Amino acid sequence: MTSTIQRLHLTHPLHFVIGLTLWCIWFIAVYGGHAVACAVAPPAPEQGVFTLVNAMLLLVSIVSIALLAALTLGCCREAKRHEGRLRFNAAVSAGLYLFSALGVLFAALPIIGIPPCL
Amino acid sequence: MRERDKQDAAPLSIQRLTRQRVNQLAAVLTVFTTLFVAGCAGDRSILDPAGPAARDVVLIWWIMLAFGTVVLIAVTALWLYAFKRKHVTRTPAEERRIARRWILGGGILLPVASITALLAFGVPVGQRMLPLPLSEPPEVIEVIGHQWWWEVRYPGAEEGEVVTSNQLIMPAGEPVDFHVSGADVIHAFWVPRLGGKIDMIPGRVNRIRLEADEPAVFGAQCAEFCGVGHAHMHLYVEAVEREEYDAWLAERQTDQLTALAVNDPQHEPAREAFMTHCASCHRVAGLSTGEVGPDLSDLGSRTSLGAGVLAMEQGAINHWLNNHLTLKPSNKMPSHDDIESATLESLGAWLETLTP
Amino acid sequence: MTTINRQATPQDPQNPKDSQGLHEDLHEIWGNPRGLKALTIVNHTTLGLRFMITGMVFFLIGGILAMLVRTQLALPGQDFMSPDIYNQVTTMHGTVMMFLFAIPMLEGLAIYMIPKMIGARDLVCPRLTSLGYWCYLFGGIILTFSLVIEMAPSSGWFMYTPLSSSEYAPDLGSDFWLLGITFVEISAVSAGVELVVSILRTRTQGMALHKMPIFAWYILAMALMIVVGFPPLILGSILLELERAVGMPFFEIAGGGDPILWQHLFWLFGHPEVYIIFLPAAGIVSTLIPVFAGRPLVGYGWVVFAIIVTGFISFGLWVHHMFTVGIPQLAQAFFSAASMLVAVPTAIQVFVWLATLWLGKPKMKLPMLWIVGFLVIFVCGGLTGVMLALVPFNWQVHDTHFVVAHMHYVLVGGMFFPMIAGLYYWLPLFSGRMPSETIGKWGFWLTFIGFNTTFLIMHWTGLLGMPRRIYTYEEGTGWDIFNLISSVGGFVMSAGIAMVLLDIALHFRFGKPAKHNPWNADTLEWANSMPPSAYNFVSLPKVDTRHPLWDNPDLPRTMAEGKHGLPVATNGRREMWGTDPLTGKVREIIHLPGNSWWPLFAAMALAVVCISLLVRIYPLAGIAVIVAAVFLLRWSWENGAHPKAAPDAEVAPGDPPLHSRTMDGPGLWAMSITMLANGSFFMSYLFGWFYLWTVSPEWRMPETSPLSLIALIVAGLSLTCGAGILEKCVRGLRQKRDEGLAMGMYSISALGFIQVAITVWVLLSADLAVTETAHDAIMMVGLIYVLLHGGLGAILALMQGLRVGYGYVGAHAPFEPAVVAQLWRYNVVVFWIIVGALAVLPRVIGS
Repeated sequence: MTSTIQRLHLTHPLHFVIGLTLWCIWFIAVYGGHAVACAVAPPAPEQGVFTLVNAMLLLVSIVSIALLAALTLGCCREAKRHEGRLRFNAAVSAGLYLFSALGVLFAALPIIGIPPCL
Repeated sequence: MRERDKQDAAPLSIQRLTRQRVNQLAAVLTVFTTLFVAGCAGDRSILDPAGPAARDVVLIWWIMLAFGTVVLIAVTALWLYAFKRKHVTRTPAEERRIARRWILGGGILLPVASITALLAFGVPVGQRMLPLPLSEPPEVIEVIGHQWWWEVRYPGAEEGEVVTSNQLIMPAGEPVDFHVSGADVIHAFWVPRLGGKIDMIPGRVNRIRLEADEPAVFGAQCAEFCGVGHAHMHLYVEAVEREEYDAWLAERQTDQLTALAVNDPQHEPAREAFMTHCASCHRVAGLSTGEVGPDLSDLGSRTSLGAGVLAMEQGAINHWLNNHLTLKPSNKMPSHDDIESATLESLGAWLETLTP
Repeated sequence: MTTINRQATPQDPQNPKDSQGLHEDLHEIWGNPRGLKALTIVNHTTLGLRFMITGMVFFLIGGILAMLVRTQLALPGQDFMSPDIYNQVTTMHGTVMMFLFAIPMLEGLAIYMIPKMIGARDLVCPRLTSLGYWCYLFGGIILTFSLVIEMAPSSGWFMYTPLSSSEYAPDLGSDFWLLGITFVEISAVSAGVELVVSILRTRTQGMALHKMPIFAWYILAMALMIVVGFPPLILGSILLELERAVGMPFFEIAGGGDPILWQHLFWLFGHPEVYIIFLPAAGIVSTLIPVFAGRPLVGYGWVVFAIIVTGFISFGLWVHHMFTVGIPQLAQAFFSAASMLVAVPTAIQVFVWLATLWLGKPKMKLPMLWIVGFLVIFVCGGLTGVMLALVPFNWQVHDTHFVVAHMHYVLVGGMFFPMIAGLYYWLPLFSGRMPSETIGKWGFWLTFIGFNTTFLIMHWTGLLGMPRRIYTYEEGTGWDIFNLISSVGGFVMSAGIAMVLLDIALHFRFGKPAKHNPWNADTLEWANSMPPSAYNFVSLPKVDTRHPLWDNPDLPRTMAEGKHGLPVATNGRREMWGTDPLTGKVREIIHLPGNSWWPLFAAMALAVVCISLLVRIYPLAGIAVIVAAVFLLRWSWENGAHPKAAPDAEVAPGDPPLHSRTMDGPGLWAMSITMLANGSFFMSYLFGWFYLWTVSPEWRMPETSPLSLIALIVAGLSLTCGAGILEKCVRGLRQKRDEGLAMGMYSISALGFIQVAITVWVLLSADLAVTETAHDAIMMVGLIYVLLHGGLGAILALMQGLRVGYGYVGAHAPFEPAVVAQLWRYNVVVFWIIVGALAVLPRVIGS
């Protein structure tokens, strides 16, 4: 685990963009997957929210949140171990990963309450 | 004595003033309320809802407006106060703490709480507008936007589909599903007092569910920019009781309309003129099948002409036929300069009789 | 904690006698020519000013159009303008303000300011700055010319199809828009590319990423957003123009296209664009507030966080402009939630600014007045923005005057007010003189009151049901009085703006001479002389603080005396530091090209392309394309060890090598960022392909694919082979080996041409019915895309071979093949994706 975190170089400013890129990928996956699912095999409206589409979207979202949360923790830990530039990088990255995780959470909330293809 | 007078007079005058002030205040309030209510009214006003969907939205609007005003005033006041207040010298640690408090409180807590509340309110409202399956399928009315008029179809009519244009009659007190589409460019169907709008897109059918509380006439106007005639694409939506609605549909069965079209033999010349000049574009049930312009089968019974441009009254059709290009500059109907005015007059007179 | 020295900065960095010679030498190399040769200037200071002045001219044109609109709407039933003219006027008002004013104006400011703030002497691609300016100017003139001949676009500034298609807009208006805007976008993207590279690679010594002036962060984000955000619209415009000119049915239902695809492509660009406009303006706010509060910005890290979040999230909101097109409720909810999320970074900034004022000693000078005006208007616009993100409310007010009001609150509040604040703030730097506070205050209050009178009321008009873009309304709607008030407010606002312009015009003549660094600012641009010299700084300082002029008030003097880095002008080159993007350590000396005709010539050739496409003389367009390409390639010839660039590689002892003598230089970065833009274009294309495939109602896919898979694979292998050899050559150069380099380059070029030839054959043998089905049309566009890229790669490799022969490239100057390799890598990836998407997937999935 430690070596994985080291290999990620969490103090590199590239992590400024990775979190939100993951958010974007999640967003595209969910929006695109949902559009394709509704075009190919729309579930009956009577099913309400209990459809395979909602379940899959929720699963993808949970996995994304878990990944982003792990990266947030990793960056927090790195930020504490460094000073100056590296600390700045890791701290900002941690914030961005956290925002991305919460961003997925927030934007995924409607999956629980809205039937997919109406 | 004079002193006493003064003393006596003083409280009196204050009293009087106060009473006056109360009266004034009441008057001002009344004026404001009247203005406000009048300011909110209008046959296309979102703020004067006449159906459940529009009512939900307007409630959310007032809440958002109040909340937004408070936030705007508070933020502005804090900024201005920051200019006025006396500078206090602080240690860097103190500064960091104060800064963090502002950023976490105002920058994160405030927006997160607001948007969460908004989403929690908003999603259920949106869901109520969805055309979810009902135990009893609702009435379906199809509306198709043309440059720059409305085609309206009633596929649910008992004895076959009823087609009309530039006038929409719907049953009040029950949900109605509108299936909308566009014939040429994108238009938008919007009855502000009933609820949200939906685009009318060529090649697609969009659905929206609206309900009118009680019988009334509502204004509607194309909301998506659709070209030169965009400003002149109005529609009157009339909600009527269910029985009246059914009767209205029954009167517009093709047989009935055909009988109407070939009514009085005295209009024969007008009918001939219609077949020569108008039939290729306009449909009159039983006479012609033109689809370029609006259907005219029940023209006499409509409340307006030219998609809400001219009120229907005696002689209005003749006026329209003579001046349609000035009344509605974008109009695609060619000029009638080449037709004798007597013919136009007879055409107008005949079309006025098309009143089921 | 930064300590601030409040002692006066040196009043005048007038050079002592010994450094006078250095100034003259530098001026000899960097100075601007006069007369006709002024057209060759590539200097960022001059071009930044040209951008801003041109932007102001377009702003006045857009403003006059706005006044026409308000006059028409002042009373019900007016016939001041016919509906057709009104539609032209509103369309052009939006288009001019967005594309010809807001973006170029802010880009101009960034072009002017960024090198000065980060301690560089120019932008990294000076000729590209010049090309960008000419493209902007010519494109803008072509576009506004359409107004003169009453043939302006009239389908609304977002050009929705089918209203803008040839059937419903048969005259040239839409063509003017599509071609003119695409032309202008070349300018935006090129400025975007070079701003990114400049900020990352040319910051002065020691300026690590976290020590950059906050403005540079904003501009970095803006530039990257331009690079990623503009290509979708460029693609959309190309497709729509192809539909109009040739009849390829991309957006036509009957041919298997979909008008909604245009809306997606437009808003994929259009929403980020709002933030592209807002971010630099917010950067001005974040720069000014600390100066006038007399303390560093509180929460620098928070602001960086907010900038990055805004940059990304803004790409996930585009559908909130399309809530009424009938997208499933769940998808709308995603976009609704994402739209609301953007409130968080914005609120963070507002409270960071508040905290900075709170903890400082703010002074209400003229620029601050505009900043406070910004705050009130922008917060209001932000709040209505959150309201609009709520789907049910959006369904009601979408396309009404409520949205018009919101949009003006966001754009005028979020861009215009900070811009004027910045203008007043930097005016002494531009001219060396101070503006008049009295006229300035009048200007502010008239603008502020006029603006709010116009647009606050307009929310109400919208709520009363007035749709946008109607040229008139009848009496009795209840809209009359509110429209009249809006119109009166509009004229008050223009009086205010006239005051501001008057103030600025007068100050050049009557303004009090400004003392040096008049606001006691902290950033390096104030270390320039006022007005600045063409080379900015005599010597480039080492900076390891965010507030160089506060921490070292002596800096302007010592810089002017040549006591810091690179105070040399003996070798006749325009030189500055190339530094490490993360730490700011000096890595190489970047030598910049001098003044050049090529950018102007290339832009003129492109203008000919644009005009001949407009009037549909296609052979001329074809010739002009070739001429433009020749000019651009000729321009690229004058690089590296070319006699006009850096024939000898000598540097002062102890200085790093010239960038053209290393394997890494700004050109490589510029190529990478350009490929980012290109990649965004390509992704938009793929989106279009898959979108039409899955969603378009009448999509028709043939039973068997018309493309020969085997031929495509052979072409791909040829391309991959070429890229492989190129990688090997670059590896060799890295180890200072260049034997057989010319031969290698020629064979790479040959492999590239083989790929092109095979692809042409595939295209011809596929016999695509491009005017009948969207499937065939979009397939053709994909193939032409890889064709052009393959051709460009082959030509560049061929030129490298020639340059090896001339001795411009080799082990002594190994830089350029690495740049070309970047393009080849991109080409290989894109080619295989195209093969997969167009030829393999349809075979696997079937129609």
